[in-house]
Amino acid sequence: MSENNEQRDEQGHDDGHHVNYFKIYVILLILFAISVVGPEVDELTGLRWITLITAFGIAFVKARLVVNNFMHLAWERRIAKWLLASSLILLLLFVAGVAPDVMNHEGNNWENVAAKQAVERGLAAASGYSEEEAESEGPVEEVIAAGFSAQNSFGQICATCHGVGGEGDGIAGAALDPAPASFIDPVFWQGRDRDRVITVIRDGAAAVGGSALMAPWGALYTDDQLEQMADYVMSFRPNQ
Amino acid sequence: MADTLAEVQKQEVHGHDHDHHDQGFVSKYIFSTDHKIIAMQYLFTGMLMGVIGGYMAYVFRMQLAFPGISVPGFGQVSPGEYNSLITNHGSIMIFWVAMPVLIAAFGNYLIPLMIGADDMVFPRINRLSFQVFFVSSVVLLLSLFVEGGGFGGAWTSYPPLSASGDYNLTQLGASLWLIAVALEFVAFLLGGINFITTLMNSRAPGMKAYDIPMVCWMIVIASILFMLSVGPLLAGAVMLLFDQTLNTGFYDPARGGDPILWQHLFWFFGHPEVYVVLLPAIGITVDVMATFSRKKLFGYKLVLYTAVATGVLSFFVWAHHQFIAGIDPRMANVFTVTTLLISVPIAEMLFVMIATLYGGSITLTTPMLWALAFLAEFLIGGVTGIFLGASGADIYFHDTYFVLAHFHYTFFPIAIIGTFCAFTYWFPKMFGKMMNETLGKIHFWGTIIPFNFIFIPLFVLGMGGQHRRIYNFEHFPEIAGPEYFQLRQIATIALLIMLAFQAVFFFNVVMSWWKGEKAGRNPWRANTLEWTTESPPPHGNWPVEDLPTVYRGPYEYGHPDREEDYWPQNLPG
Amino acid sequence: MAHARPIATTRSATGIPTPRLAVWWILASEVVIFGGLLGAYLMHRIGHPEWAEAASHTQTWIGAVNTFVLLTSSFTAVLAHQAAEKGKGKEAAKLLAFTILGALTFLMIKSYEWTIEIMAGYTITANTFWSFYYTAAGLHALHVIAGAIIMGFIAVDAYRGRELHRVEIIGIYWHFVDVVWIFLFPLLYIAK
Repeated sequence: MSENNEQRDEQGHDDGHHVNYFKIYVILLILFAISVVGPEVDELTGLRWITLITAFGIAFVKARLVVNNFMHLAWERRIAKWLLASSLILLLLFVAGVAPDVMNHEGNNWENVAAKQAVERGLAAASGYSEEEAESEGPVEEVIAAGFSAQNSFGQICATCHGVGGEGDGIAGAALDPAPASFIDPVFWQGRDRDRVITVIRDGAAAVGGSALMAPWGALYTDDQLEQMADYVMSFRPNQ
Repeated sequence: MADTLAEVQKQEVHGHDHDHHDQGFVSKYIFSTDHKIIAMQYLFTGMLMGVIGGYMAYVFRMQLAFPGISVPGFGQVSPGEYNSLITNHGSIMIFWVAMPVLIAAFGNYLIPLMIGADDMVFPRINRLSFQVFFVSSVVLLLSLFVEGGGFGGAWTSYPPLSASGDYNLTQLGASLWLIAVALEFVAFLLGGINFITTLMNSRAPGMKAYDIPMVCWMIVIASILFMLSVGPLLAGAVMLLFDQTLNTGFYDPARGGDPILWQHLFWFFGHPEVYVVLLPAIGITVDVMATFSRKKLFGYKLVLYTAVATGVLSFFVWAHHQFIAGIDPRMANVFTVTTLLISVPIAEMLFVMIATLYGGSITLTTPMLWALAFLAEFLIGGVTGIFLGASGADIYFHDTYFVLAHFHYTFFPIAIIGTFCAFTYWFPKMFGKMMNETLGKIHFWGTIIPFNFIFIPLFVLGMGGQHRRIYNFEHFPEIAGPEYFQLRQIATIALLIMLAFQAVFFFNVVMSWWKGEKAGRNPWRANTLEWTTESPPPHGNWPVEDLPTVYRGPYEYGHPDREEDYWPQNLPG
Repeated sequence: MAHARPIATTRSATGIPTPRLAVWWILASEVVIFGGLLGAYLMHRIGHPEWAEAASHTQTWIGAVNTFVLLTSSFTAVLAHQAAEKGKGKEAAKLLAFTILGALTFLMIKSYEWTIEIMAGYTITANTFWSFYYTAAGLHALHVIAGAIIMGFIAVDAYRGRELHRVEIIGIYWHFVDVVWIFLFPLLYIAK
């Protein structure tokens, strides 16, 4: 039926712990008050570390008080402490292993362009520009805008069919019929000019009566980027 | 401590009322809280999902060997469908076959029986865990039939592909897949609580920690690994779900997120997960080997501590899945060392198996054949992992079929061989009938031989540079030649043969259940407690006043003081 | 009660009663769930100083009131445990009812707070800081709701003098929910 004192030993508690819960509660409230007031002091004195200590340091102390006294972990069998400790250690392991990748935005040979751009935009917005201006348009456009290079884009998107050298010998193009165009072939350029190149890239070859295998890519490029892509394709054209 | 337990037991000896008369079919079999029924529910759901996952493998392997054909029983395979098939094949086999069968089904069935308890300590949470699992299976299968089709972004579900319907073209399928996986995680968290607390607390009087059969230890260690590793991924899955449905930017670099974070969250869980399924399979194998060599397990404490060490170490190797994702090469060094190191405890467990067999009086029953096959095939899988664990070699091998063949040489022994080993061994206890040995052996050879013919060609193809997750190799001239296609066809035909032989298994199960020879309590003359009760065990496992007391360890075979070559744990003196 | 309790529940080889052992394991897994989420948040926050602008719009004083509410509810929960240990079912039920009241107050204040923020345009998609904010606080709030519901069932049983040992169990879970908030509060509200 209901628990009585004789069964307390069997509950795994050490006997004779008498915690004054009210005292602990009052201490918790005092610590809480300090942690709220901390940032105000921080602003007055300009000492950032005060916030860190008051906010997070106190959080740890409060947590420890609750865990030990309200949850009675201090009087619990060792196994419970060990299993909680191991979950905390694994958590720290996770953060330690992941932080070098996620927290940094640059390393020895790499740079997280998109993240850096996001940081810059955000800081610019905070210092006065409107939120709308700083709003991103969409992930793909953003990344490309951040570091757009027609050569890179050609390599990523066009070369699989048209080949890195624009000869129509890309690996994905091998199975296509008609075969992808070769930009180094003078015959290809008969009757085609730069404007047509822009149209085909943007709207697909079907838009000019060609094969639907050449898909429309306009969604990926701004007008300025289309011009750059056309210039790059034109650069394969053999001189007359 | 013993006094306290005895006192408590005396007080509660009438605690298990038998107010279960006149239970209808529904409440007895559908809504049961009996651990054995719940185990069966998991077993059958898991096996059904296995059939579905196998069907998917059939379809995509047909496409790979004979590109463009109309696959009998499916039709032509579009690239999107191909991606969806491989994604769901992988997810199903790991989350809806290996885990429910090895851990939930056999854990639920065996743990209370092997420790001399009448049920799990939280029967209703047990039932709830199956219900959540069942819902997760339904959600997953539903995801295959919604608009856009099933999710096709690989079982690893990396963003940005998985985060946006614009990229993966399976918006609804992707979210349903993710919800199904999250529900499956919750089901196993709930189930794990039962396994762990029951094993820790509810052992028979006299059963010390080192008297517990290895399979119980392994399932519980696996549950602990699972509980401690799945947390960050569950958080990450919620974040991914929000990216998919609410258009948040958790994994979008342009909005301050990071796709690499997902990779870390996923693999921090993903790597311990493979040991979550490996350890129970090793436990099953080891128990079966001891029984059929009539010999004590070579190093009980060694295996136990090694399993714990493997579990701990498994948390330190996860980034070997990300060697070429652009991580700091110095981090890659660290993870190479830890990955190579983890092969040591596992190799040790395989050595223990060999040492147990050596000098034993071996009977090649069907379960024993499966246990031996586990040893042989997993060995191949394990050593090929060494190549992949070295970050330098992995630069070439990553994402090739070499990886795929490696993990099938590890997963297949775990999920399939382990399942058949356990099923054929404990079938007599579960159903009270013996399985037909001849059919069992035919099924065994008809599975193992084709299995090797499926995956050895894939090692060769992988070394030749064939990449994963490509639906038609005709598009890659260097690996589209006839000799390459021949290897792919050998693999596919071997798969067809292997799938055909599974009919022998199903036939055997049905015929044995219906007309098999009666099994009696202990047909294998084994030591552990489950063999002391009826086959199948009644509700409550033993009569309430007759719960077993334990006097020795589980592997006392061939003891010199005994005339019999086995010494059940519950026999006094 | 449709199902009798198995004898297995009465055994305790570790010395910790099974329900309490179970709740420690549940907490261990919750530590990694919340820890994973908050760890991810922390790593991003440190790498993205520009989130300070967004973070400055969290309502620190409302968060502070909620912290006070949760701390007090933890206090009433442990007093309920004390009463249950002495066999005083009705008093334990009363104290649990106060704890549930604290939970409801917390949720109402949070709804009010979120309404203000959403109407000011700080939605979950406004900025990744806000995405983390709503996800973390939302996950916590879900645990508050779940805890309050279970606590309700246990309080009803306790009032009738039954299953008093469960008061301690739900108490331990409740203190954990409080501890998570103890860390959420500085992370989301104070560290600007």
